Amino acid sequence: MPIYQYILRRLILTIPLLFGITLIAFIISHAVPGDPVTANLGQKAMSDPAIVAAFRAEWGLDKPIPEQYLVYVRNLARGDLGRSIKSRRPVVEDLRAFLPATIELATAAILFGSILGLILGLMSALWRNSWLDHGVRVVSLFGVSMPVFWLALLALFIFYARLGWTAGPGRLDVGLDPPERVTGLLTVDAILAGDWVVLRNALAHLLLPAVVLGAYTTGLITRVTRSAMLEVLGQDYIRTAYAKGLPTRTTLVRHALRNAMIPVVTVIGFSYGNLLAGTVLIENIFAWPGIGQYAYRASTSLDFPAIMGVSMVIALIFIITNLIVDVLYFILDPRLRAT
Amino acid sequence: MKFRQRPLLFMLLVAMTLLIAACAPTVAPAGEAPTGATTASEAEAAPANDGTLVIAIAEDTASLDPARAFETLPSIIHKATYQTLVTFPPDSVKTVIPDLAASWDISDDGTVYTFTLADGAVFNNGDPVTASDVVFSFDRLKNITGNPSFLAETIASVEAPDEQTVVLTLTQPDPAILAKLVFGAFSVVSQAEVEANGGAAGEDAATADTAEEWLNQHSAGSGPYVLESWEPGVETVLVRNENYAGDAPAMARVIFRNIPEAATQKIQLEAGDIDIAMDLSTDQMASLESNPDINVYQGLSDTLIFLKGNQDPEIGGPFADPLVQKAVRYALDYEGIRLLAGGDAVTPASMLPVGFLGAYEPNSGPARDIDMAKSLLAEAGYGDGLDAELAYPDFTFAGVNFGTFAQKVQADLNEAGFNITLAPGEVQVALESYRQGTEPFGLWLWLPDYRDSLDYVEFLPDGVVGKRTNWTSENADEEILALRDQIKVETDESARADLFGQMQDYLIEKGPYAPLFQPGIQIGLGGDLQGFVYNPQWRVDVSLLSK
Repeated sequence: MPIYQYILRRLILTIPLLFGITLIAFIISHAVPGDPVTANLGQKAMSDPAIVAAFRAEWGLDKPIPEQYLVYVRNLARGDLGRSIKSRRPVVEDLRAFLPATIELATAAILFGSILGLILGLMSALWRNSWLDHGVRVVSLFGVSMPVFWLALLALFIFYARLGWTAGPGRLDVGLDPPERVTGLLTVDAILAGDWVVLRNALAHLLLPAVVLGAYTTGLITRVTRSAMLEVLGQDYIRTAYAKGLPTRTTLVRHALRNAMIPVVTVIGFSYGNLLAGTVLIENIFAWPGIGQYAYRASTSLDFPAIMGVSMVIALIFIITNLIVDVLYFILDPRLRAT
Repeated sequence: MKFRQRPLLFMLLVAMTLLIAACAPTVAPAGEAPTGATTASEAEAAPANDGTLVIAIAEDTASLDPARAFETLPSIIHKATYQTLVTFPPDSVKTVIPDLAASWDISDDGTVYTFTLADGAVFNNGDPVTASDVVFSFDRLKNITGNPSFLAETIASVEAPDEQTVVLTLTQPDPAILAKLVFGAFSVVSQAEVEANGGAAGEDAATADTAEEWLNQHSAGSGPYVLESWEPGVETVLVRNENYAGDAPAMARVIFRNIPEAATQKIQLEAGDIDIAMDLSTDQMASLESNPDINVYQGLSDTLIFLKGNQDPEIGGPFADPLVQKAVRYALDYEGIRLLAGGDAVTPASMLPVGFLGAYEPNSGPARDIDMAKSLLAEAGYGDGLDAELAYPDFTFAGVNFGTFAQKVQADLNEAGFNITLAPGEVQVALESYRQGTEPFGLWLWLPDYRDSLDYVEFLPDGVVGKRTNWTSENADEEILALRDQIKVETDESARADLFGQMQDYLIEKGPYAPLFQPGIQIGLGGDLQGFVYNPQWRVDVSLLSK
């Protein structure tokens, strides 16, 4: 079917999917044996019935659970994600504040990881079993096996504290004002504002966490690229292409790389979603105010509105990346277009 | 569409450019002295070196509204931006000294406190501080029924007969009321400013007051600093209050940076980018102590880590038996626990932390006596061993890893004939059974709600912790009930000290508790920082700091 129809259909299906996500998130977070009262009120406040009653009334916790869900869904339909119990601000505002930081970090990490991974995987496949290949395989193994928090602390210690090559934790230096907010992505906003000092500073702060976060992705993509390329290069049509006299470059790009890209694109898409959802440790160590930390705090304090808001946002991100990956399949693989 | 190699090359080129642009920080670290040659980017960030203090702390702020905030960072911020009627001296919590109130009288029956305000205090907008602002602030705290409002539960009413006098009437004598008034919750806010921004103090304030959003970004106080901004999860910025009636603080700007990870705080402190690292742990001390550019403050916190049983035989089982409870107290290796905690940790005698009025000196409690513990167990009928579970929250709080200490307790008790299995739980889950009183034997902590020994009455029958151990007037003996009731009303300091001594004596012999330790606190300071004084109430008074 024409691609636009396909995209439209997928997007429409997203809506019931998101509602389903809220239902699951709601059920799971309420199934946990715990009470937001315990999580959010101090020890003495918790034993004062007046304070507890006021708290429950404020957050609608005194209503029966199904009613709480209906209230949530009704508000959701109006675009109101409720207020976070922990931050006491609208969840939408919290997401607006914390999501761009994670998107910036994850995007930088995936760019770094994919580009480096592709290059290393390609080289490794082309010069198979050479020293280069062995070196790359060791490095990629290192990337996928090292615990990310250990890598992060090590990187901070060596490159920031000892060598002074990179900036420290946080998104900007202390005392440096961020540019006027348009997207929330400091790099983009700095470019839009023409503020080159902030741009350089933001990039300097982005470098280390992005590289550390991208280490796993690099390793993963290297391995997938390598194995996909090796498989494709072993195909008959590649031999035919060489035999025909096609220049190596054309063969590699038009035939080999393009066909190898399908599994690679899958992994990149999947990794991006994972990166966006799984940055807690990096955000913690690099003091990066992102959605990972927000989600962690929300879940440990049984902050139901925040939990559901974050679940939906992450689900939405996965849905969109999956859609983009599927669209890329269309572009890459003519066989899918023939239907 | 043909897939060209050029996009790949292009992306590569862009990546390299970005990498080169990003490498090498463009701004000099805040702690360094400015050098002669400055680049354009250094000049941009000049404020970092001009009277700015940078403090790294794991931000736990939920709100900066004094009527709603109860966490660590807000207490530091409020100390800097607001004033209270009374306060503590810079380095102790044992006495109460004047702040906004120059003097006060207490009625003979201990229920009426009359405060006379000092002259000259002004809010940051220039308006004078009056008694009606005090009344507004206190009423607002009480009626919003937020987290800290329990501090005002003994206050029946607060009135301002004239602009310089505040009369506080209590529901009953409360020996700790002055200590409670030091809290940031009792900060005096400008009624005019807060009302202009949606504030309300009436009976319906819980729903009628909408000033929180404004108070999260502005302060309406009379303290040495003004809140310039709070970016949640990133940083809180204070600037000097030009209208402050007292001596101007040395630092023009104070920035509290949210750095959740203690290891990162340490790295930043060593790199010279921050002046204070608030959340360091004992195992980080060794390397910092040998660093000549860094000073370390090590002190005693007022957190109490303890074991509790359950007085209800149906729930507590063996841990409701006074003999078993006493056996636990004699089986613990207090010295070993203290060493495990490290730093300046101490072993309190009982359920009253060292440093509070009437608290015994460290190590005045029971000393380890395995034979005594074994014979007590035998007497209770568990000569062949006692199988039991130790419940605890599986987390690290203020540098104390509960799993580690649970294992230590297990090892200690097993030596005396117990057979302990560990039963960790996720914090919120474990808290439920603890709070409901359904936990037979657990490892927990207590933070003082206010800095007065009276708070530790919560461990006695019908107190907050007492209820969690099902210790009520139904099953408590006359001795402890009488003692408890006396403590609640006694206002004479030496008499109180004596009563708290009796309380500790009782709990050492009987009762469902065993104190484990009182952790130390560790704060890292930049080498050029002067004037740091630790106070358990507000951790650090930034107005005393200079570089």
